[in-house]
Amino acid sequence: MIGYYISLAIRSLRGTPILSALMIAAIAVGVGASMTVLTLNYMMSQNALEHKDKVLYAVQLDSWDPNQAADTANEIPWQLTYPDAVALLRSDIPTRQVAMHRFGFTVNLDESDMRPFTANTRVTTRDFFSLFDVPFEYGGTWNKEADSAAVQSVVLSKETNEKLFGGENSVGKVVQLNGEPFTVVGVLKHWNPSPKIYDLNNNPFADSEELYIPFGLHRKYEIYSWGNTNGWTSSAPEGAEGYERFLLGEHVWIQFWVELDSAEQKEAYEQFLTGYIREQKEQGRFERPLKFALSHPSEWLVLNEVLGNDNRVLGWASLAFLLVCVVNAVALLLAKFLRKAPEAGVRRALGASRNAIFTQHLIESSCIGVLGGLLGIILALAGLTGIRALAMGQVDQIATMNWEMMLAAVGLAIFASILAGLYPAWRISRTNPSVYLKTQ
Amino acid sequence: MFELKPMLSALWRNKVSALLIALQLALTLAIVSNASVIVKDRMEQVARPTGMDVENIIAATYMPIPTEYDMAGAVVADLDLLRSTPGVVDASVTNQIPLSGSGSAGTYFTEPNQEIGGENANYYQVDSHFINTLGLNLIEGRSFVPADEHVIGPNDQYHSKMAVVSKQFAEKLYPGESAIGKFFYSGANDNPVEIIGVVEQHLGAWPGWSRAGNVVFFPLLVTGNHKRYLIRTEPGQRDEVFKKVEDLLNERDPQRVVHVETLSENVQRTYISDNIMIKVLSLVMALLTFIVALGIIGLTIFWINQRTKQIGIRRALGATRANISRYFLVENALIAGTGLGLGTAGALIINQLMVSEFSQPALTLPLLAVCAIVLLLVSIAAALMPAMRAANISPAMATRSV
Repeated sequence: MIGYYISLAIRSLRGTPILSALMIAAIAVGVGASMTVLTLNYMMSQNALEHKDKVLYAVQLDSWDPNQAADTANEIPWQLTYPDAVALLRSDIPTRQVAMHRFGFTVNLDESDMRPFTANTRVTTRDFFSLFDVPFEYGGTWNKEADSAAVQSVVLSKETNEKLFGGENSVGKVVQLNGEPFTVVGVLKHWNPSPKIYDLNNNPFADSEELYIPFGLHRKYEIYSWGNTNGWTSSAPEGAEGYERFLLGEHVWIQFWVELDSAEQKEAYEQFLTGYIREQKEQGRFERPLKFALSHPSEWLVLNEVLGNDNRVLGWASLAFLLVCVVNAVALLLAKFLRKAPEAGVRRALGASRNAIFTQHLIESSCIGVLGGLLGIILALAGLTGIRALAMGQVDQIATMNWEMMLAAVGLAIFASILAGLYPAWRISRTNPSVYLKTQ
Repeated sequence: MFELKPMLSALWRNKVSALLIALQLALTLAIVSNASVIVKDRMEQVARPTGMDVENIIAATYMPIPTEYDMAGAVVADLDLLRSTPGVVDASVTNQIPLSGSGSAGTYFTEPNQEIGGENANYYQVDSHFINTLGLNLIEGRSFVPADEHVIGPNDQYHSKMAVVSKQFAEKLYPGESAIGKFFYSGANDNPVEIIGVVEQHLGAWPGWSRAGNVVFFPLLVTGNHKRYLIRTEPGQRDEVFKKVEDLLNERDPQRVVHVETLSENVQRTYISDNIMIKVLSLVMALLTFIVALGIIGLTIFWINQRTKQIGIRRALGATRANISRYFLVENALIAGTGLGLGTAGALIINQLMVSEFSQPALTLPLLAVCAIVLLLVSIAAALMPAMRAANISPAMATRSV
């Protein structure tokens, strides 16, 4: 029966080509616009750490200005001071913990013609790779001691290894960073989560770093952050001069994550943080009310507003647009079905039930949905290409459609067209056959 | 004379179709007016004057390779080289590139040793050529001279004795009076900074910042692990000079990595999200209006087809062509009026949400009125073609197949 309805539907669509094309175009444009924006919003809301969401936490401590809360979503600075990060690292409660920030180096090789280049670098403790599930191609992370002592080890991203060593196993080789020799201890597989969940400052859709170096090198190279450094006072501990004054001062610039596998661990860690802040209060720091936050990656994405207001507005605008297209399709379908009312009258007179008429017309509108959906995918792909061009390469990774989104597009189109077809199909199935039979 | 009574009863028989058109227009007005207020706001953002000669400025950033590096010496030599390059008007050193999204800010007070009530500003560390290099308009006081410049290390505690500020910032510190010769304090200390000059306009590093336009320039060179130069070229010479800058700097000293960009690139990049909003919302508005117009055309044609005989009868009974066209146009205007009335209410409700939930700009009544009028004209235009066709239906139609 369905096959017969479909062939009826196609015949009917062919019968009124302009009206049909108009409806298909309306659905296609609506679906195309919504899917462009929804794909973007969906990709922006991805959580690369979903599988570990329950055990990972971003750590925030309120070490801010006693006169004024920090200007963040939860009024706690996004990052920690260096002394606080180092103090938290001493805890043995977390299964894994990471203190880190972004930096940059010039990179060159001895006895090579390659032009030196600058590389985005992550200065981090060794657990970074295991905590965030970063896969290694060769070698592994550095030794524990490198997290506190100056050890010139480096982990290369897959892309950097290809650039420097043509992709071969480069563990044990030496690269020059700012003219100093660093030994390669590991090479990563391709890894580039977007949004860049572990560091959402500045651009959450930026690429992952090209180099990773141990956290114990700050003093040796007087490393500053290439991310955000925020301060509220220029005061520093007594006697600290030069770089030490910066390092030990009240600036927040270190990102801190912990892995707490059980509820007991989390509770113990919360107690540890409370104890730490109390202890600092006694020394005259942390003058604000005692406050800290542990956020799961999913919460961290929301807190950092990775999906911004503009994206939400565009999301709603595109859905409203689709709604107008649906209303438009209702009106046109109604016109079309009513024009064919005599045909339906004859079918009713020949014994077709109201249900049969209703189903037939609903199938006809679904056909419009399928065609509109397919066309909508093409429009959405064009829309995403447009967005990629407008964003000047900043959203290349996220402005792409996967199979799921394409299926969703067709699904949305069919849903929209069935919604549009409901009333017209119901209306036509209620028509009284005798009216039409009389005038024939 | 508008045959309102028969028209209303005819509409009543087709109430669902009429309502659907009205609903489309209502939704469209609600969306279009809210989108257009956002688009207008963003266009104003993007169109703000930068105060600079954006088209002719190049920015170069370099990182020395050796850890031990005489940066102060390199800066002097580089700037001499750049300034003597043909096509270059002036060159300057800076800690940040204007409109690049990356820079520094501080809190400033008009009294010493304050902790609260400060004014935030974006700060630059530059040399005496900076104001000329950017082409900023100095409206009061003087620019820096070479004797004002200071060189310090990245960890040195040093407070500049003087600064040039933007007019906006000067007015925040000293409203209603000249700021020249007055002092401010950076942070909670008692080191006075004298304001020696005021520039008309500068947006600073972050045009999207709530305090964009608050800018302070200090005559300071802080050595560190990278440095930036700004270069202004003669009009039309930018691309020529651009090609040479990296090689020039690398030839003078190969022990570094140089990155060169134009300021126009930075301006474009800094307004990416505004541009996406403008383009996407404009497209949505245009497509919506188009689709609604198509819907009106489709439905009017359908009604006219349905009423072909009626029209023929009316023509046979003496109605002129103008009567017939007018009938459909007035009918359309009635529907459109209802829809736009509903839409006005919808637009205002949605705008409340936009302001409170998504911090978007508030909708103004004139803008709403303009959107409503445009949509009304579009709907009349859409009905015009079918209405004219209806007028051409011959009275003979009435006699056929009755």
